[in-house]
Amino acid sequence: MTRSGFFPALLRAAVLSIVAGIVILPLLSTFLGGFKTMGELRSSPFGIPAIWDLSTYSDILFSPLFWTYMRNSLVVSLSAVVLTLLSASMAAYVFAQIRFFGSRYIQSYLLLGLMFPFATAIVPLFIQIRDLNLLDNPLGIILPQTAFSMAFAVVLLRSFFQQLPKELFEAAYVDGCGYIGFFFRFTLPLSTPILATVGTFVFVQSWNNYLLPLVVLNDRSLYTWPLGIMQFRGEFLIEWNKILAFVSLTILPALIFFTFTQKYIVAGLTRGSVKG
Amino acid sequence: MRSLLLGAATALGMIFAGSAWAETVRILTIETNTPGARDYYTNAIKAFEAANPDVKIQFDYMDDTSFKSKLPTLLQSSSRPDAFFTWTGGVFHEQAEAGVLKDISAQMDENARAQYAPAGITAHTYKGKLYGVPLYAAGVALFYNKALLAKANVDPKSIKTWDDFLGAVKKVKAAGITPVVLGGKDKWPIAFYYGYLATRFAGTAGIAAADRGENGGFGNPDFVKAGGAFKQLVDLEPFQPGFMDTTQNKAAGLFGDAKGAFYLMGNFFIGVQAKNSTSGKGLGDDLDFIPFPAVAGGKGDANDTFGGVNGWLITKDAAPSTVKFLRFLTSKENQLEGGKLGIWLPIAKDAQANIQDPRLRGIGELLAKAPHHQLYLDQALGASVGAALNDAAAEIATGDITPEEAAQKVEEAREMR
Amino acid sequence: MDTLTRKRPRHSPMARLSRMQQDGKLTTILFFLPPALVLFTIFVIWPIINAAHLSFFKWSGYGEVTNFVGMQNYQRLVGHSVFHQSMWNSLKLVLASILIQIPLALAMALLIYRKTTVNTAFRLIFFAPYILAEIATGLIWSFIFDGDYGVSGQIATALGIEPIYILADRQYAFMAIITVIVWKYFGYHMMIFIAALQAVPSDLIEAADIDGAGPWQKVFYVKLPLIAHAIKLSAFFAIIGALQVFDIIIPLTNGGPSNSTHSIVSYLYTYGLAQLNVGYGSAVGVVLFILCLVSAFGYRRLALTKGDVL
Repeated sequence: MTRSGFFPALLRAAVLSIVAGIVILPLLSTFLGGFKTMGELRSSPFGIPAIWDLSTYSDILFSPLFWTYMRNSLVVSLSAVVLTLLSASMAAYVFAQIRFFGSRYIQSYLLLGLMFPFATAIVPLFIQIRDLNLLDNPLGIILPQTAFSMAFAVVLLRSFFQQLPKELFEAAYVDGCGYIGFFFRFTLPLSTPILATVGTFVFVQSWNNYLLPLVVLNDRSLYTWPLGIMQFRGEFLIEWNKILAFVSLTILPALIFFTFTQKYIVAGLTRGSVKG
Repeated sequence: MRSLLLGAATALGMIFAGSAWAETVRILTIETNTPGARDYYTNAIKAFEAANPDVKIQFDYMDDTSFKSKLPTLLQSSSRPDAFFTWTGGVFHEQAEAGVLKDISAQMDENARAQYAPAGITAHTYKGKLYGVPLYAAGVALFYNKALLAKANVDPKSIKTWDDFLGAVKKVKAAGITPVVLGGKDKWPIAFYYGYLATRFAGTAGIAAADRGENGGFGNPDFVKAGGAFKQLVDLEPFQPGFMDTTQNKAAGLFGDAKGAFYLMGNFFIGVQAKNSTSGKGLGDDLDFIPFPAVAGGKGDANDTFGGVNGWLITKDAAPSTVKFLRFLTSKENQLEGGKLGIWLPIAKDAQANIQDPRLRGIGELLAKAPHHQLYLDQALGASVGAALNDAAAEIATGDITPEEAAQKVEEAREMR
Repeated sequence: MDTLTRKRPRHSPMARLSRMQQDGKLTTILFFLPPALVLFTIFVIWPIINAAHLSFFKWSGYGEVTNFVGMQNYQRLVGHSVFHQSMWNSLKLVLASILIQIPLALAMALLIYRKTTVNTAFRLIFFAPYILAEIATGLIWSFIFDGDYGVSGQIATALGIEPIYILADRQYAFMAIITVIVWKYFGYHMMIFIAALQAVPSDLIEAADIDGAGPWQKVFYVKLPLIAHAIKLSAFFAIIGALQVFDIIIPLTNGGPSNSTHSIVSYLYTYGLAQLNVGYGSAVGVVLFILCLVSAFGYRRLALTKGDVL
């Protein structure tokens, strides 16, 4: 910091504030929209509410249905995160650490998963889930979400695992640490930044996913929030203030999850065993 | 890990599975677009459950788009509902063809059928088999704002033909008022013009023939004429600015805020324009309607109407009480109540007596005396041809294609079907 | 890495296998690979194969798949002008991602990758659009672009000019979509860069400081080269992601006006799923798949040197 003077710091602050301002305006209006009436939402969508109408938010917060949907979403998203991180990091570790015949082919095979978004194969995917008897079952969402996250998770994780110093493994190997032991004792703890990042991506994708739960879930008690939001659309017509309030509340868990994972996005290498 | 999850899922399932009723009838419907409709259903369910204590009725609501994307997969799974909402038409025919529906001809004898307007029964019949119970009809009419037309010195009751209407539009525009409000982003409101004009030019029989591919299908001159008449309107630039980025909901609100003089829409619009206006009250008594104008040399009867017939389709393996409940829901008493609440136009015979809103009653009378009732074309023609027709109408409105090209596009989609 | 293997004396496959078993490699492979591969095969590859199969049929999604039509769906695709437009739009999205989104994300990552409280707050703000659900994103931005009540309407009123209806205008509507996509997804790439920058050993930066390197020099000669792998990966995701944009377009413009703003996937959704042409939609999916595959291999050729394997 010694070399950076006052003006660069000011410039940095200015750039960050401007970008942050542009980024935050739509988010803020989403949040504030929940305090407005329908008429005000139309005539002044971005202003501060003339009257802070708390009833929309409190209606949602006091509705047991809201909590059911949140719990269902949380179960699905957290399971998808855990399953993806576990299976993808194991596979990525094999690709990064072990050279074996067919490794490249298997990696290319996994890469195919990046070429195909959900929407493209939703009908065949539905048929598959139905044939496995997983309709109206949270696993019917969790497993496909995990599978569709697999490709990018493996690619990202492997790329980061490869950046870990090779000497580390050699030293551990001499000390009698096998491949599996090394994975759990060194690779995973040293990779918290990327694990946290991938985990966040998977969480958000799963959290906001709409199309898959729509075709898999019919039982209302299993609905995740993107489906449940329909119960809050108002008695008739779309009451956007309700939707905005609902959405604002559903961002919170994802933000909390993000804040939590942020703690792990710290320099693993400086803290870890490289220096010690 | 996975077995742990499985365990958790099973446990979760068991918590919710504890149903004490002998029989549950599950019905999937769309979000109601009229005030009071949900209460109406809830009351009817309560009354039925009180009379039939061993039956539980469960209604699930879903927005239009989700409903349509979910239905194909849902109907082919074992968790399909016992009955679901339908716009009838081409999509219903596909569902019947796929064998996911239940033929209820035997359960609905002559007496039972006689309770409904014949058009309602016909709309739920495919290849001689009855698959559903009609719920309501909807009619499209040309709504107007009395105050704005008075300001522009236009007498709405004098508008009898399409040319009269074009003349009125010119006068309104000259008075500095937006003549027509249109929710172009949703496309189907635009297609109402095209569809109604086609009903006038080709007639319901002509549309049915085109659907079968006779007389050049949708490429035949009547459809070109319909597009041409619509183009005449478009050329007057009558719509509010930015109409292609205006949803039907927003447009209804604009009309409710007196931002334009005319609006072509179905009877459900009466409630929507009020609810979506800034004041929440809409035009009030300034809102009225005229029947859709006649055209010179049209093959269709000038009294024919255009709109919807909606109801319930019963699925294969439906619970035994499904039909019983739906007949109760659409019984004369309940339909009278629905009319009184102004939710919709009852389809049961002689159930119109209680309709309070004069405009709703007026549209009901139009439908009652109409020789034919043409189903919304995007419903009647099935999903893909319907969408092509909506697209074609929208592109006439933006001036991207000619009426000939529009007719050709729809015909191409029909040939691909 | 390749050179290493070549120097080793060649062993017979059996000998290699038994050596792998001895040092625990084989066990690791047999334990670590299957969970990912099995899930992936069941829920991704199998549906893809089925979709490819369906693309040769005319099928509404109801009933049995019996109406074999050969290449008809593909022929129809080739001749459909809306599809051409959607391909062109997807290409524009790819360019915007590479030229606007990635540089923006990189700049922000460099400004805030250090772990301080203020930086964490900025990260949260920049990442929040990615968290916001698509339906709310579309809604809020359509308010902003609204010519009557929105920001663009207010600006026009303030300037005393006719309001511009951005989303109703063929010229501006797609630019609006690009803006929203950059807004929503740059935080995603920023996070990848931050994670990579965290992994840059701090002693290298300290060494550069001691050598008297200025802040720009440190960025270009130390930081960027050290996170090159992440930049390349991120650009790859951006290309593939841009080809697959979908959820934003439907609520914003629904593909309009006059079907001029469809992406390939929103085209697929509209003409394949919503109109009940599952066979046709599958054909679009297959074309998209091939397009992504070609881009991926092209990218591998162009941007990746030996060592970075995708």
